[in-house]
Amino acid sequence: MSDRSLPAAATGHLGFLAVVSDAGGWLGGYLVTNSWGRPVEFRLSTAVQPNRVQHALYGPTLAEYLHADLIGKTLVEKTPTKPDLVVVNTPPALALRGRIDVPVVGLKLADAGAESQAAGGLVTFTHPRASVPLLLAARFAADEAAVRGLLDALDPALDLAEPFARILAAVAEHRRSGGAARAA
Amino acid sequence: MPLDVNALGRAAGVGDVNKAQGQPSLCPASEPPEAPPEIGTLAIDLALSVDARPSPRLLTDSPWVRTVGGLALTVGTEGWKFPAPPVEYARPPRPAGEPAEGRRVVALPALPDPTAEAKARVRTRPTADTVHFKDRLLYLLQPPLDGLFDGRQLEVPFEPFPYQLEGIAFLMPRHGALLADEMGLGKTAQTILALRLLFHQGVVRRCLLIAPKPLIHNWSRELKMWAPELPFETFDGNADGRRTTWLTSNCPLKLINYETLTRDAEWANDPKVFFDVVVVDEAQRIKTRDSKTAQVVRGIHRDRSWALTGTPIENSHEDLVNLFEFIDKGRIPHDTPPKRLAALTSDCILRRTKELAQPDMPAKTVVDLEIELTPAQKVAYQRAEDDGVIQLNALGETITVQHVFQLVMRLKQICNFDPLTGESAKLERLVSDMEEVAASGRKAIVFSQWVEPLEVLAKHLARFGAVQYHGKLPQAARTPILDRFKSDPDQHVILMSYGTGSVGLNLQYTNYVFLFDRWWNPAIEDQAINRAHRIGQKNPVTVTRFQSANTVEKRVADILEAKRKIFNDLLAEQDKPAQMGLSEEEVFGLFDIKARPKRAA
Repeated sequence: MSDRSLPAAATGHLGFLAVVSDAGGWLGGYLVTNSWGRPVEFRLSTAVQPNRVQHALYGPTLAEYLHADLIGKTLVEKTPTKPDLVVVNTPPALALRGRIDVPVVGLKLADAGAESQAAGGLVTFTHPRASVPLLLAARFAADEAAVRGLLDALDPALDLAEPFARILAAVAEHRRSGGAARAA
Repeated sequence: MPLDVNALGRAAGVGDVNKAQGQPSLCPASEPPEAPPEIGTLAIDLALSVDARPSPRLLTDSPWVRTVGGLALTVGTEGWKFPAPPVEYARPPRPAGEPAEGRRVVALPALPDPTAEAKARVRTRPTADTVHFKDRLLYLLQPPLDGLFDGRQLEVPFEPFPYQLEGIAFLMPRHGALLADEMGLGKTAQTILALRLLFHQGVVRRCLLIAPKPLIHNWSRELKMWAPELPFETFDGNADGRRTTWLTSNCPLKLINYETLTRDAEWANDPKVFFDVVVVDEAQRIKTRDSKTAQVVRGIHRDRSWALTGTPIENSHEDLVNLFEFIDKGRIPHDTPPKRLAALTSDCILRRTKELAQPDMPAKTVVDLEIELTPAQKVAYQRAEDDGVIQLNALGETITVQHVFQLVMRLKQICNFDPLTGESAKLERLVSDMEEVAASGRKAIVFSQWVEPLEVLAKHLARFGAVQYHGKLPQAARTPILDRFKSDPDQHVILMSYGTGSVGLNLQYTNYVFLFDRWWNPAIEDQAINRAHRIGQKNPVTVTRFQSANTVEKRVADILEAKRKIFNDLLAEQDKPAQMGLSEEEVFGLFDIKARPKRAA
């Protein structure tokens, strides 16, 4: 075969940030993988439930604050392995791009809630490495070329949407194994 | 002034409002939630204004005090780092001009097809006895197996079948596993791919693979095919060289045959020698608990124990019990009744039949061909049986099973060839069938218990390009024989002994199997048949089992059939009878023998 060696970028790391809500509030799971999806690091956040004062104080920016600042930035910064690209599963988390110096893309999921859909200023594009359309924050639309370059270098079998299934399984397992109970 | 807001709240009778809101509900062990800044907890505490007042009663009873929650949101985190391989295994550069063997290029769609049915992903799952969350994460967060071999990172000669991916997903998380797939389903490839992934994950760094001597070459070939980037070495050479391989070599994967392993028992069982995984191929070789081989294998210091065999039960349920002495010592308590075995071991055993794994596998037709002995054979047979029974009866109480076996062997040999004239009804029929096989351009395998009949057959089948493959041939000569048989269109038949040819060989380019005589054990016969009826077979396979009418062969065949049924029942998790071997009674029952050993009387 002619194309045996992988481009240099393919030796890098990808970060997958899932922000989910459960009975305890919002929590994040952050998985760093190598370029073909092998896990390198995983980090979970505790759940956070904004109270009424916080809802009132943050107003419409609360989701962005929770997803990007509080959960996303904390998880990315506390994880020693630095990613070349962060993929998020909620539009509010795209604001993470403004807090870290790494491109951030989102997955345009069909079941995105009203809160997500309300988030405006998004650029949509597609790429063979993702089974769903991808999102970029409009103010970081210039990242698209760099993101495409990174994605082109990834293993062709990789689907950016797939690792989220793993993260959700791990979150569920953590819940079952009494992760919440340890907080007591 | 510092103020205990919660105390105020409690004092005011409003409960732990703050506690329920804005505080992390999970607290990871590795890192406690960060302490909120002083401004973090805001209580709109109108009692402040009354605090200076002298009356504590007013403070306690104040209906003004309301803790409405924190202003700042905080979050704690807990992290896990995955093991990494000591080196990133990279395939050695391919020599220039080497063809791109089986490289699979996948053209992924540019856009997802919303109408396409979602494909079920094959994932590794932690086993039920994996308790710690961090250990479960190790498997939960691995990428799905069905995607791994599609891409460019893990090259494979061809994409594994879905059932093989399930087999890999079964092996990877297990520390004790028995892969008991029917022969021909690719246990070797599944094992190598599971090992390959574990090496890449850094979970496994040292592996010992034990296989019968004739299969070492096959394993080497398959390793190069399924894990080209994984270095391995075999235990060759003199004692000094082997000692170095045992004690000094850092090669991640070592390949050894049973005989050498037994010879090197001292090093193999040295506490300093440790393997993350030990794989035992054709694991029925350690089914005899007290054999030297079984003891040495069990004595190897290891973390994971994987056994591979298509025939975990050859004679009785004890075979399985003894295998588990290696796989997971203690899983089967002493004196466990056979009917409980399935329940105790089911989590560690994976067995698929071809029908189950590959519904579209070409059919296998088994023909039991009763053949009338030639007149000369009949005379010889009758005389031998009559004389033999008389002699057995004359032994009285000193008779043993061995005496009966000797007679059976003698009679079976007459069923093959008349000792005086060399006449053979089976040979006549075989030649006739081979005419058809050769005319259709196909290939056949002929199995016999003995080498001598094969040598005679080779002469009679020379015009069909007959080649021999048995224990009399030196090891080095065997692989070239197979290679030539595969590629030469004029070689239509290979003559094999059960002992040498029944395990580990891939002969799926043959479509006819003749069992010239029958083996004592149906599992061995199945192994022989599955040299042809295995993955990769594109055409139906016809198996012809010769048995001479009105002879001991027919009586043995009936017993074999009953044993085969018991094997299937036990692995199908049903209640089983304990005894599956040819019992003493059954052996004596082959003839009309009045004499019996004392204990059998």
